[in-house]
Amino acid sequence: MLTYILRRLLYMIPVMFIISILVFLTIQLPPGDPITKMIENQRLQQGRVFSEKDIEMMQARFGYGDPLPVQYTKWIGNIVLRGDFGYSFYKREEAGKVIADLMPLTIAISLGSFIFTWIVALPIGVLSAVRQYSIADYVFTFIGFIGLAIPNFLLALILLVLGLTTFHTSFTGLFSSAEIQQAPWSLAKVWDLLKHAWVPMVVIGTGGTAGLIRIMRANLLDELHKPYVETARAKGLSEMRLLVKYPLRHAMNPFVSGFAYLLPYLVAGEAIVAIVMNLPTEGPTLLNSLLNLDVYLGGGILLLISFMTLISTLLSDILLAWLDPRIRYGN
Amino acid sequence: MADTLIDVKDLRIHFFTDEGVVRAVGGVDLAITRGKTLALVGESGCGKSVACRALLNIVHRPGKIVSGEIIFHRMFHQSSGSGSDASVDIAELNPKGREIRDIRGKEIAMIFQEPMTSFSSMYTIGNQIMENILLHTNLSKQEARILTIELLDKVGIPKPSRLIDEYPFRLSGGMRQRAMIAMALSCSPTLLIADEPTTALDVTTQANILDLMQNLQKQYEMTLLFITHDLGVVAEIADEVAVMYLGKIIEKSDVFTLFNSPAHPYTQALLKSVPKIAMTREALDPIKGMVPNPYSRPSGCPFHPRCPKAFAACKTIVPKTTSLGLHHTVQCLLYEDVTERQATEALS
Repeated sequence: MLTYILRRLLYMIPVMFIISILVFLTIQLPPGDPITKMIENQRLQQGRVFSEKDIEMMQARFGYGDPLPVQYTKWIGNIVLRGDFGYSFYKREEAGKVIADLMPLTIAISLGSFIFTWIVALPIGVLSAVRQYSIADYVFTFIGFIGLAIPNFLLALILLVLGLTTFHTSFTGLFSSAEIQQAPWSLAKVWDLLKHAWVPMVVIGTGGTAGLIRIMRANLLDELHKPYVETARAKGLSEMRLLVKYPLRHAMNPFVSGFAYLLPYLVAGEAIVAIVMNLPTEGPTLLNSLLNLDVYLGGGILLLISFMTLISTLLSDILLAWLDPRIRYGN
Repeated sequence: MADTLIDVKDLRIHFFTDEGVVRAVGGVDLAITRGKTLALVGESGCGKSVACRALLNIVHRPGKIVSGEIIFHRMFHQSSGSGSDASVDIAELNPKGREIRDIRGKEIAMIFQEPMTSFSSMYTIGNQIMENILLHTNLSKQEARILTIELLDKVGIPKPSRLIDEYPFRLSGGMRQRAMIAMALSCSPTLLIADEPTTALDVTTQANILDLMQNLQKQYEMTLLFITHDLGVVAEIADEVAVMYLGKIIEKSDVFTLFNSPAHPYTQALLKSVPKIAMTREALDPIKGMVPNPYSRPSGCPFHPRCPKAFAACKTIVPKTTSLGLHHTVQCLLYEDVTERQATEALS
């Protein structure tokens, strides 16, 4: 098991290398260069004009004018060796700091929606399978398909409107006010976060929940009539213990592997929700950075998300191996 | 009969499918004698597997026991007092209830056909055998483990103290079936049901497993219900044989009578279709036709469309059980007074 994990960790190094090249090429793709764009912006907005010397200094820092491989080496070298993600021209902050501020909340929201998805989808999926074609099965199937069919951003908008008209509260953001968001972490801040975070968690989780219910139902239905279930029943196990110990355990694999797609799903797919709900997460920031040629911030976010996807894939693989001896033994 | 362990009376099991009702078991009477081996023989789809699952009340949906009795004469031979009135009708028990679950795995155990898939691949065989012991006895985990190792040793698994922690998919088919037998024996059941336990195994392993089962049956003084379609196996292990066709027991007798003087045309045809070493040049004599579509059973005697000896009355009259001697019964109009039947049926 340990060698398996070590081997997987080693594999991650070349994968990460390839990803970093791809990310670098991606942020180089848009026409124009970020320094020229920033200088132009500054001149238009604040009338500030940089001297030739300043421009040269900036170009030297980020290696503009150098050939691409040299630029890449500088960029990745700074990240790996010094944790320096470069400068966000748009936010006028170190890119690393912007990312670090957003990452904990992003992870919290993803984990929260994931847990919501599990808590809802698992029991409903099991129920729909065990009581196949019952009224409960049809009702949940119906709700599930509706959940699957409604785009998340629409659900978010509906909730926002409902919140404002019926409950007279705003469901946007993750905190009550900007002051609280800026304040250092405290119990009061966490409580404030929890009060706001459930809405985006539910919104983001709904689509996934519906899908997962269908997966759970189908998997469990496959397992329920396998011979090993009959063997267990012939032993005299009660139906509940039998269900949990045998078919449910066999049907769990897709649930666990879903864990790996958590982060990219959230950041890429749910950016629209985050924009609608004004969430301080990586998704909207990534979009803005790409729109504004804020290459170092965008590149940094892409790189980190790829890295965390690799980590969560590894985690879910370890979990799968722990759960299923057939994977452990390589069958 | 004092020595009857299980008395099945007019058991009917129907499958309620979207295409219609399948009468998988259509009125089976069967007495299983204590301490003997009864072989239940029949083609695939004749209802033998479903019938034996009914003895544990584990017929799964859409199948349902619609009528009949399965009287299980339990014997408590210890100090528990009146052991005489301990019989129970298994068909009547709630399939999810406590009572039947206490019988399953403890008093009636079952071995299944597919050793590959009958164990869960998620748990070690030790875990799955111990589960049965812990469920039905007061033994501690440690004691259950020791007992499991003894059982694995008894069924001929090498290095049982190591293999107890092995996953089923790491064992061969024969080993798995041995482990399955160990699991079935773990609570010393009075009745062991074996549903084609050797069908999925190669011939050498088959012979070993049969030997093992016969030895264990003597050791544990068990009653054995052996479901098979292999007449060679029947000849080797059975005391009594019941032949099943389309959900009915069409003939039952002791094994010698059945092989020497089979009464039912189906049994005769079945015996003729078995290849013999002596018969070198002759072609095999298979039973003509196919097993009928389960949704449209033939009227009258279910075998009449394929029967070489069928006559007009076979198409309309359902044969009754006729006794041909001590322990030899048959359901065939050849042995009934047909004119008398027609007369009584015309009257009613």
